[in-house]
Amino acid sequence: MIKSPVRQPYIPGLFSARYWKRVRIRLANDWQLYVLLVPAIAFFIVFCYMPMYGIQIAFRDYKAVRKITGSEWVGMKNFQTFFSAYYCGRLFANTFLLNLLNLLWGFPIPIVLAILLNQFDRVRLKKFTQTAIYVPHFVSTVVMAGMLYLFFSPTNGIVNHVITSLGGKSIYFMVEASWFRRLFIGSEIWQHSGWNTILYIATLAGINPEIYEAATIDGATKWQKIRYVDLPHLLPIATMMLILNCGSLLGSNTDKALLMQTPGNTSVSDIIGVYVYNMGLGRAQFSYTAAIGLCVNLINFVMILSVNWISRRVGDTSLF
Amino acid sequence: MRTNAIAHIAPIKPIRKTRMDVWFDRFNLVFWIVVLGLVLYPLYLVLIASVSDPDAVTLGKVLFWPVDFSLIGYEAVMQHRDLWNSYGNAILYTLAGSALSVAVSLMAAYALTHRFIGKGLINFMIVFTMFFTGGLIPTFITLRDLGLYNTRAIMIIINCVSVWNLMVARTYIQTTLPLDLYEAAVIDGANHFTYFFRMVLPLSGTIIAVLCVYYGVARWNDYFTALVYIRDRSKLPLQTILREVLAQLTTSTSSDAFFSAYANDTKGMTEAIRKAAVAKYCCIVVSTGPAVLLYVLMQKYFVKGVMIGSLKG
Repeated sequence: MIKSPVRQPYIPGLFSARYWKRVRIRLANDWQLYVLLVPAIAFFIVFCYMPMYGIQIAFRDYKAVRKITGSEWVGMKNFQTFFSAYYCGRLFANTFLLNLLNLLWGFPIPIVLAILLNQFDRVRLKKFTQTAIYVPHFVSTVVMAGMLYLFFSPTNGIVNHVITSLGGKSIYFMVEASWFRRLFIGSEIWQHSGWNTILYIATLAGINPEIYEAATIDGATKWQKIRYVDLPHLLPIATMMLILNCGSLLGSNTDKALLMQTPGNTSVSDIIGVYVYNMGLGRAQFSYTAAIGLCVNLINFVMILSVNWISRRVGDTSLF
Repeated sequence: MRTNAIAHIAPIKPIRKTRMDVWFDRFNLVFWIVVLGLVLYPLYLVLIASVSDPDAVTLGKVLFWPVDFSLIGYEAVMQHRDLWNSYGNAILYTLAGSALSVAVSLMAAYALTHRFIGKGLINFMIVFTMFFTGGLIPTFITLRDLGLYNTRAIMIIINCVSVWNLMVARTYIQTTLPLDLYEAAVIDGANHFTYFFRMVLPLSGTIIAVLCVYYGVARWNDYFTALVYIRDRSKLPLQTILREVLAQLTTSTSSDAFFSAYANDTKGMTEAIRKAAVAKYCCIVVSTGPAVLLYVLMQKYFVKGVMIGSLKG
């Protein structure tokens, strides 16, 4: 038998006329795709990339009249001012601790909820539950903070009414520094852990039911199914979420912290985002606060890259 | 004979639960009842407090059902002009903003399901913004220099595309509309535009609903943008006004400034403070109601759409 020759795909060289002809044809075919992309690209350029260009004010002494590019270069001065300031350490510590504690408490709960919901054997109640646990996510941050102020008010709040009727002393929850993180994280969990189950529930729903059947026939209890079927399936996606979260360990939930900040709790509620907002927009220290913002962004960026790298090395799951 | 044999097999009895599993299910049921209570009780409490008598609320008598039913709080809220003005603004920003967002995201998501020259670059450019941003201050200055400060336009176009939503939409379109369908349409003479408008849009109802909820709720609930970019009180959205009402540490008298319309005389003042106690709850109901209602109405599409989109997301 004569072997038919294997046809090699023709790859024209970069500078050949045929290469450019191909490019032209593809562009002519796809120009409508580019048109469809234009609005989104324009948005990203104006609202994300132009501000990135504006980061240079961190190295300048920004004056509004001279615009961004006309202001004077000052090198690393703004960074030095920040790092030598006495509150610098406190800001970093507060931000980092708040996020870390939030991650430690908030990260496992959605996974547990998703697993238990997946094993919930009452169909109608399960459906209702799934709908209900998403609801708090639709409550706005302002209303959430408002509810905290109302429920935890020292005089009229229901929590203190319950405490005093049980014989305790009423607590100034919103003012005491020791309560800030608990309330902050508690309300985060209340609002978002139901919502954050979505990804995990979707993953669990995608597991081949035959695996569960096989496990049942092999005599596995529900605990064993969770241990040997659910958890291994959830591991990759959970790792991914963890990596993503590590990228914001120095990020700030500025809007919420701003709402929950009271004169009494500034020692813990003063986080980088709030400081940037107050100094930058309140006192127009643009260059200085831009420098702080840049530091935080860079640290976050490096953090996400390194966690990603580690997890790719150790467990072969990675974002990119 | 064989068919007969199968017909005689009794329906398989479900395997009996082990004792462990029985206990597991009991534990699970209790667990979920407790969770449901924790999730729903605060919301329920707000609702019943909003229709109760102010005195009963401040004394902490309202726990499980409305006490001395009254609509006095809603009355106070109805008469608050700033609140309703901002309510109108919020509706405008939400409707216009989410319409824009959904359109832009869907178009881009569709384009990104195809292969074209420069796709890698554009993909990178979009995803990169998830991990690195200009930060609050450079963004503020850039937008101010563009003349967007204190305009209604910025409330509509800011946060127009969320990368996450874009990816969800792209995954959805990829999985529900295979490329074969596009190729078949091309043979019938379609181009990207006709295919997008006549095939993709009609078949993406679910994801459109999901995007509407995502973007709509995000806009409705956003107060920070207005805090940064809006100066005129007449342009503020609802949440920013709500912040003044709800989320500031108030001593008993200052709550108030909010109901200062009544504060002409001392009697009016005490009455205003009394009303304010429930009016806050009413504000929560009036502002959160639409978002929750939208979600509950869209719920049917929601779970399905989000799940398809988020898999492999």
